[in-house]
Amino acid sequence: MSRRPHVAALEAPASLKSLPGRLRLEQLENGLSVCLLANPQAPIVTTTLCYRAGTRDEPPGHGGAAHFLEHMMFKGSARFGPGEIDRLTQALGGSNNAFTSHDATVYYFNFAADRWTEALAIEADRMANLTLDAEHVGSERQVILEEIAMYESEPWDALEMAVHERLFAGHSYGRQVLGSRDELLATGPEDLRGFHRRFYRPDNAVLVVAGDIGDDEALAAVERTLGSLPAGAEPRRGFTPPVTLPASLERLERRKGEVARLLLALPAPHGSHPDHAPMRLAVTVLGGGRTSRLQHALVEDEQLCVWVTADLSESMDASMMTIAAEVVPGVEPARVEARLLELLEDLRRRPPGEEELERCRRIAAADWVFGHEKVHQQALSVGMALTLFDLEHLDLHLERLLAAGSGHLLEVADRYLRPERGAVMGWSLPKS
Amino acid sequence: MSPPPPIVRVRRVEGAPVVAVRLWLQAGGRQEPISGQALVTGRMLTEGTRRRDWRRIAEEAEGKGMILQSSGNFESIGLSIDALAQDWELALEWAAELLLESTFPEDRCAWIARQAAAELESLTDQPEMKTAWAFLEQLYAPHPRSRPLHGSRESLLGLTPADCAGFLRRARAHGALAAVTGVIDEDAVGERLLQLLGGPPVDVERYPEPAAPAGLSERRVVATEAEDQAHLYAGHLTVPRQDPDYAALEVLAVILGSGAGLTGRIPARIREKEGLAYTAYAQTVAGSGLDRGRLVAYVGTSPATVEQAERGVAEEIARLVENGVEDAELEEARAYLLGREPFRRETARQWADLLIEAEEYGIPVDDFAHRKAELEALDRAAVEHAARRHIFPDELRFTVGMPGQSEALRNRQISVEANT
Repeated sequence: MSRRPHVAALEAPASLKSLPGRLRLEQLENGLSVCLLANPQAPIVTTTLCYRAGTRDEPPGHGGAAHFLEHMMFKGSARFGPGEIDRLTQALGGSNNAFTSHDATVYYFNFAADRWTEALAIEADRMANLTLDAEHVGSERQVILEEIAMYESEPWDALEMAVHERLFAGHSYGRQVLGSRDELLATGPEDLRGFHRRFYRPDNAVLVVAGDIGDDEALAAVERTLGSLPAGAEPRRGFTPPVTLPASLERLERRKGEVARLLLALPAPHGSHPDHAPMRLAVTVLGGGRTSRLQHALVEDEQLCVWVTADLSESMDASMMTIAAEVVPGVEPARVEARLLELLEDLRRRPPGEEELERCRRIAAADWVFGHEKVHQQALSVGMALTLFDLEHLDLHLERLLAAGSGHLLEVADRYLRPERGAVMGWSLPKS
Repeated sequence: MSPPPPIVRVRRVEGAPVVAVRLWLQAGGRQEPISGQALVTGRMLTEGTRRRDWRRIAEEAEGKGMILQSSGNFESIGLSIDALAQDWELALEWAAELLLESTFPEDRCAWIARQAAAELESLTDQPEMKTAWAFLEQLYAPHPRSRPLHGSRESLLGLTPADCAGFLRRARAHGALAAVTGVIDEDAVGERLLQLLGGPPVDVERYPEPAAPAGLSERRVVATEAEDQAHLYAGHLTVPRQDPDYAALEVLAVILGSGAGLTGRIPARIREKEGLAYTAYAQTVAGSGLDRGRLVAYVGTSPATVEQAERGVAEEIARLVENGVEDAELEEARAYLLGREPFRRETARQWADLLIEAEEYGIPVDDFAHRKAELEALDRAAVEHAARRHIFPDELRFTVGMPGQSEALRNRQISVEANT
């Protein structure tokens, strides 16, 4: 007979190669997935609660609802009035925050190891008893409108939003996480309540408790606090890849400021696709470090750009590879664009040799190690893996990345790094 | 005069198998004769040595998975290297090579200066940054903190390898600080580092101290490229890092608006109560170091509500000084500051930065017991005394960044013209 009849241990490795600490994965009777990552490197604990609900799950006409609800989760529940979550966090010497993406909404607390369970009480109360007072909804809407104004005023944010919208036009990934002014004005307490009711349920959530914990005690505390909440989440829309993507290199131009900024976005495979890890290695070859191909050519050698970066998102339905660069004043933007396209083509014609690849593998491995030194970062990675993919995703992704050879890289470059077959070239050009 | 011997701090930090190396010379933008000289000199440390050119340095570092950065700030120039623990000795050797054998190749110097000039232009394009710089000028002129660390386009483009070599040489007179942390053998690391940094004494003269800050007029309105957002900065100078009231001012900062979430009085009023902004915060010792830091309240709001935000900020600062703080606020702020400490000591990299900070200001910030005692000694009277001593509601200076085309800006300009 199990010691905890209402908790089921899920099949999971006792540890991950990609992260420090001892691992335990359980599921409460109400469906809440609980991952305990015991890592006593410092006397601290991070709790991360991830809901499988983001911008992609919003009902038509209410774009921005997932993010709006994230704000409202701090504005009052039965036990914690408006502002009290922050006040309690502060009084306990901790910190908290939340973020919304297209795929998920994530809440986290960082506390000293002797007081972290307060985070569970807060999460339980706002999962079950969120207030959504009309006056507070109105005031918070105003705050979000200011947030939109802030992003629109910053040249890079504004360009990124426009490019994203164009690349995934027709798919929910093309919608802004913040929503639009009109959609926000059309979204009231009942709409938010509906979204909360549909998705903010234990059977649609993943809780990670990471840090200096005893896992039995931690699991008991989770059960005590969250174990009695009712299940009942609505099924989430499954894998929905974009139906239409750009079929050629589409251009987008804005006039802003005095500096030319370029953002090239290409569709990329979703996060659990076997091509995703080799793509990450391709991104490192292009933009990882000073010796990477783009940095070396565009910045250090030819001195056309002040900086250049390459990045790859990791999403459920489809990912996006981006290359961003700021052009040196006086350099013709068209010259930078032409050279960038040449360098992408060059990756297919002249794939990296073993020495270059090995350097990139080391850079990628070091990025991983340095990017996961903190318990908070470890908790977020585990939470997102379990929410969007599965626990093995982290090890698998890193293994695939480190095992990818020149042949893999050539294949993915041929498949995905061809802007002429569909991409968005966004430019923010000087007004003058 | 001969430079003082290097100060070396070494600490074993369990956790990820990494080593963090920090090596800094204690002279920066606050002493530079040419603006931007410290920034460019710092960046040039990875651009070539007597043994290797920039390419080889980068290739060898990246081949080892090392993160190698050099930079200059207002108080120092130097290097940071993050490496796998097994490469600790190589990391130390490279740090010493880069600091002691830099050659400042002419072509790289020209590019690094040009790159910095372009960055400056890009930063000026960002409405919040443009407003922040105008605010710093308002508070600190003619002190070097009144201008961007980058200096100006003209000063940057005029910099030569000789300027960089000269700055590095004189910076050595101000002394070197080194910190090495991670999964290391403390004795072996300390011994090796002292071997590497030791050398014949060099006769160099220290830079003079910078001009004292005086500040400019009381209110500034600057035009920005923003679409529909105004940026408001309000504040005045407070104290340097070593001031005995620093900890009390930290408590006041939390009460005013730098604590967890939106708990401070300014974000609570501006964002939570009045819904005027997404970002609203306050600090009392922002940028405090060898020079005085500043009280600063920031609000990003609509041009139409900037005056309301300005009023709210001024009233909250005045209320803090006039009515003091509540016991509960003091306890919460203290708990918050103490609770943050373990999060500042989680990784080897954080420990290395903490050890450098401790040596730079001569304050044992790395000693948790000291930090705890310092905060626990503060009672309400001490905190309120510090507020009265260092926060002056009548001396607040305001800088507002307004969208260039906004009606509010046009109205303000008309009103300024009418006043003059």
